Amino acid sequence: MKRPSIYAAALLLSVSASAEEAVIEGNVQSKCIINTDVNGVYGNPAPDKLSTLSTDGGVEPVIRFDVAVADYYLARITTPTGFSTSPSLSDTVTWTGSTSVGEVSDTGMSAYSTNKVTYDATTEFDLTIAGSTWFNVSSVAEYGYGRALPGGTYRSVVQAECIAK
Amino acid sequence: MRILLCIVALLGISLPAVAHEMTPTYPTFSPSYVNGLASTKMSVFNARDDVDFYEVAVYNPVWEPVPFAATDKILHVPFAEKKSFDVYVRDEDIARAVYICTLSKLRSDKPSNAIISSKICSRTDRAEFR
Repeated sequence: MKRPSIYAAALLLSVSASAEEAVIEGNVQSKCIINTDVNGVYGNPAPDKLSTLSTDGGVEPVIRFDVAVADYYLARITTPTGFSTSPSLSDTVTWTGSTSVGEVSDTGMSAYSTNKVTYDATTEFDLTIAGSTWFNVSSVAEYGYGRALPGGTYRSVVQAECIAK
Repeated sequence: MRILLCIVALLGISLPAVAHEMTPTYPTFSPSYVNGLASTKMSVFNARDDVDFYEVAVYNPVWEPVPFAATDKILHVPFAEKKSFDVYVRDEDIARAVYICTLSKLRSDKPSNAIISSKICSRTDRAEFR
């Protein structure tokens, strides 16, 4: 008779142990994450031109900014104004570029396009809404006047910055 | 449903992991164990498989460099790892050390020809976080 009561007590103890609450804690910390979704590729539609535009056979870089808390960060994207790697060039290169808002995780982010500030090769967006914003970057390099770009590998750098306000 | 789950799983596997993250957004300086120096602890997470190194920099409100010390000014942060680092500034520089930034260092042998450099800056002068 004693044994069953011991088993019952042990069972009760184990039941009470398994009924302990497992607490899961978490907090949403303000932060910005820069995701380079697509690195981009230059197309060579003409002998003197390199372009990331799809109509020119290129691939536009796509950068995603994720912000956990609204209104804490500015996104600043600078399009290239020079090659980081290229063959020796004897003539000038004319650079044009632009940054536009692509997909958004919140419809209110469509205002980013109208509120953007552009200076030199830099475009600044005020990330006033928490969530993800995809930015499409275009870059076009035109060489000299009707001169063909020398053969070789060309690379340039798009700078994506997330600056706390 | 299973097919859908498989597609989602495959998409997750095939999507490149390419994120750069730094916390906290608003760090505060506190006295360090070295007399005359204040320090703050930062953390960088590297989910960019094309980047292994990040450069630390400190700037004033008009983006001029401010002298600082850190264990490493170029941090080696392997892919999918998080690294904490301390930034030290002189007591007299605390007021002008406004931005603490990490900048991805790109390899020249990268296959893609338009490369994205990422830079995240935290801000130390937000009074409400002091």
